[in-house]
Amino acid sequence: MIVRIGDESNNMRALPSLPIAGVSRQLSRRSAFEALLHHSPISRAHLAKVTGLSKQTMSEVIDDFERQGLVRRVGRTRGNVGRTAVLYELSPAGGHVLGIDLGAQQLTVALADIAGRVLAEVHEPTDSRGGTQVIEQIARLADHLAREHHTHLGVIRSIVLATPGVVNPRTGAIEMAPNITGLAHINVVGLLTEKLGSPVVCENDINLALLGEIWHGCAQNVGNVAFLALGTGIGLGLYINDRLVRGENGAAGEIGYLPIGGDPMQAEARAQGCLEYQVGASGVVRRHREAGGSGVESAREVFERAQAGDPLAASVVDETARLTALAAATVIATADPKLLVLGGSVGARPDFADKVARMLVQLSPRPVEIRTSTLGRRAGVVGALSVALRRLHDEFFGVAELTAPLPLPQAAARDTARQ
Amino acid sequence: MMVEADYCFAADLGGTKLAAAIADTQGRIVAERTEPTDPRGAAHVAEQIAACADKLSQAAGIEVVQARHVMVGIPGAIDPRTGRISLIPNIPGLENFDVRAFLQGRFGTDVAIENDVNLAMLGEHALGCARDCRNAAFLSLGTGAGLGLLIDGRLYRGASGSAGEIADLPIGHEPASKNSPATTFELEVGSSAIVERYQRQGGKDATTVRDIFRLLEQGDDVASAVLDTTARIVAVAVVTLQSLLDLELIVFGGSIGVRPELHDRVRQALTTFSSRPINTAVSQLGDRAGLLGAAWAAGRVPREKHMSPG
Repeated sequence: MIVRIGDESNNMRALPSLPIAGVSRQLSRRSAFEALLHHSPISRAHLAKVTGLSKQTMSEVIDDFERQGLVRRVGRTRGNVGRTAVLYELSPAGGHVLGIDLGAQQLTVALADIAGRVLAEVHEPTDSRGGTQVIEQIARLADHLAREHHTHLGVIRSIVLATPGVVNPRTGAIEMAPNITGLAHINVVGLLTEKLGSPVVCENDINLALLGEIWHGCAQNVGNVAFLALGTGIGLGLYINDRLVRGENGAAGEIGYLPIGGDPMQAEARAQGCLEYQVGASGVVRRHREAGGSGVESAREVFERAQAGDPLAASVVDETARLTALAAATVIATADPKLLVLGGSVGARPDFADKVARMLVQLSPRPVEIRTSTLGRRAGVVGALSVALRRLHDEFFGVAELTAPLPLPQAAARDTARQ
Repeated sequence: MMVEADYCFAADLGGTKLAAAIADTQGRIVAERTEPTDPRGAAHVAEQIAACADKLSQAAGIEVVQARHVMVGIPGAIDPRTGRISLIPNIPGLENFDVRAFLQGRFGTDVAIENDVNLAMLGEHALGCARDCRNAAFLSLGTGAGLGLLIDGRLYRGASGSAGEIADLPIGHEPASKNSPATTFELEVGSSAIVERYQRQGGKDATTVRDIFRLLEQGDDVASAVLDTTARIVAVAVVTLQSLLDLELIVFGGSIGVRPELHDRVRQALTTFSSRPINTAVSQLGDRAGLLGAAWAAGRVPREKHMSPG
């Protein structure tokens, strides 16, 4: 059963003008929800203990949640003595979120419930025609996922789209994303919102991959992280002082434009970005050809040949690693991260990451911990889900500016949640 | 809560000079002095800072004990976890001398230490040309190179306190070896690099960058060419910072950075390097940016207890 709680959420938005009782009630609901998020399955008594709320208040809140379909009963405690208690957990019907990762090669769409459980995930090659064809493709996959779960797009309340480049907040177009055609002149955000029926929020794909690694990947519980992704293109996500760095115009981390690896004044380098012109997938193929190589269509083949011992391909890979290490060295000198995560289809290759790490020792006098992405190509969609969840939680349980966002459940925390 | 009689003591310690001031808690300077940094190193320098405070308090008629809040800018990175100072090539012994503990003993009050370029960034943010910025950098070019970063309206120090230590940016020639004390960007644009470049290119007698700027005014071609080269390397660093952080403004400071002759050349180089506009400006507070930032930050200590790194 799907329970819509749209009226509730409209009340939430009006909260600042509510009397203090309303705010207090919302804070109780928020605490109860947070406890359910991190300690499910859990009894009313235990919830009261965890939140510090009275049993009476907790009972009212849980009754409320049950009526709204936010929680469901999953059994009873097996007590030693005395009565057993009903155990509750967040119900998958409480609300859904959609994460979309639009890559130049691959499109991934994932559906999760309000507790952050991924219900379904699908990926296919991105429609190479770009533009509105890609919008159609996203809508088709989203619809497919919803149907697979015997539901419809209407249950989805929060959608986050990971895209390369930068979203123009005025036009909704996606700019500086040269690897997918036709997105710079259409209102991507508006069209998707219309097709999917809920507001779509866009965020840079690297930033979201970084948030994915922080939520469920290799960067959990680290306050200062740099995520360097190398695949079709190159990009950087910076998470410092526990926040994403977006920059003045949302273009922070566009390191494809770093003046590394060539003449930044050359026309192609200027257009594509000096560094990306060298280390992006097409740059790898081009440099292989320029070095006298032949019969190679994709960067992947260059890497495979290098691994198989082809010296020409190996020299191209080595140079790619050197330039990537140079970029990493500028990041370390400037931003002083605690952890550097290497990601992307090329960056996360263990053989490549090893090369970068070895070269970095020569280039940077400061040691920094380096890890490769553990989520791989799922990092972007996991990050998109994490932001979509935060937005959904905030819609239901936000209390104006009074409190920080609800912490999301950790992947590893599930086993240890019950004390 | 603050009472009106509260004063702050602020100092900006550089490799060649020490600037110090007594200020009110709004950061307004009451008395100020500058003297050459004691070349004998850490302990003497720490003593010199304390002596400066004594001289200033006499001049201003304010007892040192009234200077409740003390902020000292130092040319190095401060690890927020350990308080340890590193990356100070210019003042011998400071890395192993607890200047903060020494001054706390002398003043009998809490002392905060902060990277000098970070304080210059705060100075420009509070009082200078970065007043309305949330994302800005202070690029200090002088004996060495350093960077203060303001991200989302807050100073950014990095995981180990060495954010913005851009001396080792791999820009210019191949980066220096791991054991070399100085590193690449600084090796290219630090004052001794500029002088060396001038001499290598057959310039007239010049032993300081100041000499080179004077020769430039007299129409010296080599001086002009050397500054062009230097400006191009600085421009590469500016483009680098901009693509990493997407800043609203990059403020040029330090003894070389404040020279319009250099800044103009960097602007010129930027027009060819970057297709996107990058805002830069010469420091409005000039060589007082660090001191004024320290005074302003010292005034904030009672309001923001965690002003010291962290």
